[in-house]
Amino acid sequence: MTVFSRRTTGLLFSLLCAPLTVLAAETQPTHEYTLDNGLKVIVREDHRAPIVVSQLWYKIGSSYETPGSTGLSHALEHMMFKGSSKMGPGEASLVLRDLGATENAFTTDDYTAYYQVLAKDRLPVALELEADRMATLRLPADEFSREIEVIKEERRLRTDDQPMGLAYERFSAAAYPASGYRTPTIGWPADLKRMNIDDLRHWYQSWYAPNNATLVVVGDVTGEDVKQMAQKYFGQIPKRDLPPAKRPLELPTPGERRLTLPVRTQIPTLMMGFNVPGFASADNQRDVHALRLISALLDGGYSARLSTQLEREQELVTGASASYEPYTRGDSLFMLSAMPNLQKGKTLADVESGLWKQLDALKRTPPSTAELERVRAQVIANLVYERDSITAQASSIGQLESIGVSWHEMDNELADLQSVTPADLQRAARTYFTRDRLTVANVIPETQTQQEARP
Amino acid sequence: MNARFSYAWGALLSLTLLGGCQSTSSAIDSAAAHPKLESLQALSKKPPVTRTLDIQSWKTAEGARVMFVEANELPMYDLRLTFAAGSSQDGNTPGIATMTNGMLNEGIAGMDTTAIAIGFENLGANFSNGAYRDMAVASLRTLSDPAKSGPALDLFTRVVGQPTFPAAPLERIRNQLLTAIEYKKQDPGAQAGDALMKQLYGNHPYAHPSTGTVESLKSITPAHLRAFHQRAYAAGNVVIALTGNLTRPQAEAIAAKVSKSLPKGPALPSVAKPLPPKAGITHIEFPSQQTHLILAEQGIDRRDPDYAALYLGNQILGGGGFGTRLMTEVREKRGLTYGVYSGFTPMQVAGPFTISLQTRAEMSQNTLGLVQDIIRQYLKEGPTQKELDDAKREVSGSFPLSTASNSAIVAQLGMIGFYDLPLNFLDTFMKQTQTVTADQVREAMAKHLDPEAFVIVTAGPTVAQQPLPAPVERGNTPPPGVPEH
Repeated sequence: MTVFSRRTTGLLFSLLCAPLTVLAAETQPTHEYTLDNGLKVIVREDHRAPIVVSQLWYKIGSSYETPGSTGLSHALEHMMFKGSSKMGPGEASLVLRDLGATENAFTTDDYTAYYQVLAKDRLPVALELEADRMATLRLPADEFSREIEVIKEERRLRTDDQPMGLAYERFSAAAYPASGYRTPTIGWPADLKRMNIDDLRHWYQSWYAPNNATLVVVGDVTGEDVKQMAQKYFGQIPKRDLPPAKRPLELPTPGERRLTLPVRTQIPTLMMGFNVPGFASADNQRDVHALRLISALLDGGYSARLSTQLEREQELVTGASASYEPYTRGDSLFMLSAMPNLQKGKTLADVESGLWKQLDALKRTPPSTAELERVRAQVIANLVYERDSITAQASSIGQLESIGVSWHEMDNELADLQSVTPADLQRAARTYFTRDRLTVANVIPETQTQQEARP
Repeated sequence: MNARFSYAWGALLSLTLLGGCQSTSSAIDSAAAHPKLESLQALSKKPPVTRTLDIQSWKTAEGARVMFVEANELPMYDLRLTFAAGSSQDGNTPGIATMTNGMLNEGIAGMDTTAIAIGFENLGANFSNGAYRDMAVASLRTLSDPAKSGPALDLFTRVVGQPTFPAAPLERIRNQLLTAIEYKKQDPGAQAGDALMKQLYGNHPYAHPSTGTVESLKSITPAHLRAFHQRAYAAGNVVIALTGNLTRPQAEAIAAKVSKSLPKGPALPSVAKPLPPKAGITHIEFPSQQTHLILAEQGIDRRDPDYAALYLGNQILGGGGFGTRLMTEVREKRGLTYGVYSGFTPMQVAGPFTISLQTRAEMSQNTLGLVQDIIRQYLKEGPTQKELDDAKREVSGSFPLSTASNSAIVAQLGMIGFYDLPLNFLDTFMKQTQTVTADQVREAMAKHLDPEAFVIVTAGPTVAQQPLPAPVERGNTPPPGVPEH
């Protein structure tokens, strides 16, 4: 999970989608079926406006990549726009643009997804284009030679010239000693230099199969219509054997890691990350729900603990955040980051000790009922708010399916969170907020000498 | 997450301009150009169906303009107040608009910051705010269940209408804004953007960043904020946009309550028109790998009659994602950039037209030359008929997307109300885009943009320059300028 894909705590709850009759909104009909070739299709009806979103999710991302071959999934995503049997390079984008569609794609460490938002009568075009590039991608070498330059520009823009992006990349490499989550999705610079078109052909052949994908369609459509369309365009694509996919598992207690990262910034930042399980890898999912709740108590709004206590009462930080992404294929991180309040003379050491006090308080004292009720109120409201966006609904479904969890799990989340007891919270805090699970980075302004020495 | 491209600032704003209506496009269809796509052959040639918006508008007793669309599908509503209280109203105190807006939810009688936050969050209500150059916004999203929305609205009206601007939070917000200014120093794109606006607008109120300046921020007192709030958050200076699960009488009651809670007073006078800038290049030395390039001229105000023609003209040059002249030449044929975008930002008075991109430093000068050549040629020749037809279809086809959610609708309402556009603005705009000719687009672009008058800012390191790679022409794409029929 790159820093870009990480949802904030506030948004974390937007993943929840439990049907609650108390909300007085009818739950949209949701249909699920699997074609003979293994392509899973999930359709949610939302008839508010005559539009539709189509998302095709592949279970492939940077956490599947091996040393020396990093950045393949993301580069392949770029090359998916460079032509297939029915379309020349770049042509599909022009067709979709002509139809008024919004389209794009994104890659994370666990999945690669392609999407189109368009007027509902145009859905067949989106599906035909997706099916064509799933089955017959051309991958021309001359197109790759230019596209890899574009990708290098993307890396410079998002990572090399972004001090915090760069710092987070280095932080992740230390925080995940054993799993593929250490790999930056964009790829290491040395690997981008030596990547070639044959690497990408192999990656495409290995992973872009119907039985490794989920098609999610949300909008003004019926389940039956989409089923027929999916069968028509994707049904003939043969199923293929897939390479074994291993969950990215971590050492539970790798030992404390401390980094000093001088970057081109004026403002120091502290990053702390604890190695913790994710939803798909946890032995005991109560721990996962407890960690989610802790994240909400710390940073689930302007009234949450980090804002109230560290930022306003103690004036220790100018900003602080806590985040936990449970929806990963493998083991995850519980992240804290904060900027010291320099005007009040606070240092990174002060911030680290202040954050530890917050964690120790969770180990010692259970949260008040009022605090828990506030979290619950926000979860319930966000269940409704999320439904204002067909894209958000589709993304929640696609993300869960792509990490190997049924989208039906969304329906249980509110109940799961409510089932967490104060004892669960304390146990989770005591289990996971330990020094042997911790990576700490002091991100500091680099000196003039360091700046001049940089290539 | 890494994506194939991402929109530059402003692109999303221009997307929200689009509204819904049925069009009578006479554009030729694209099916013939892509014979292998079966689904495209089968597609109806008619423009897509669009959700019909019944926009209702009225004024409150205190003079606030209200814009309302009923949308009962979800048990929630969105309320968005747009004040003419952006940084163009800062006067001699840059940053005061942003600070006033940021201080709204930091204290009311009997409640401090935390109590206010708890108040909203206990109800599952979202309060949000922001200040820009023309406008300052305060929004509420709440469940429409009266047990939630009633207390949420009560709190919201007190926060927006009667903030107390206490001293301790003021120090904290000031500190955060000063930190934000410091933080921007590590971002070459932000540095270039600030310098650009300064060069483009000189002494005009659009010139300074909304965050203000260090000196000015340090001088602001609670009394300043109270005076600014009294003037700029007056009922006569706001547009109240509402959409969601509400009847007209409910909407009227909400608008009346909001309006009554605000200070009494008229709309603020509009900002003056800017003087023309001096063309030329400014370079900011920055130790990055890429050089950021921005080219700009003063563009148009929101009510400009040429807007539809310019919108189409820009879509062809560099608006949106792939397929524009700039993206094709700079990224697709030469691999020089991750993204290059152009766009008009129509504002209360002439907002900027900008072209922005980043490239590796050793290519920056020649890439700038390439971009200038593309603009020169385009402004001279105008679009081809095929480019224009494609752009018309794109605009018509994307219309249904612009009113698909409550958040999109409330943003459209706020924009129409704030710039005092007619209620049928979206329809009119759409019809205009569908009837404009290639000559009209060329004339409008040439009237508003002079290829030799660009204000240019570059930010990056000084390094030896390399020649550009040769462009690659794709054999199977028809060259621009050849009509299909």
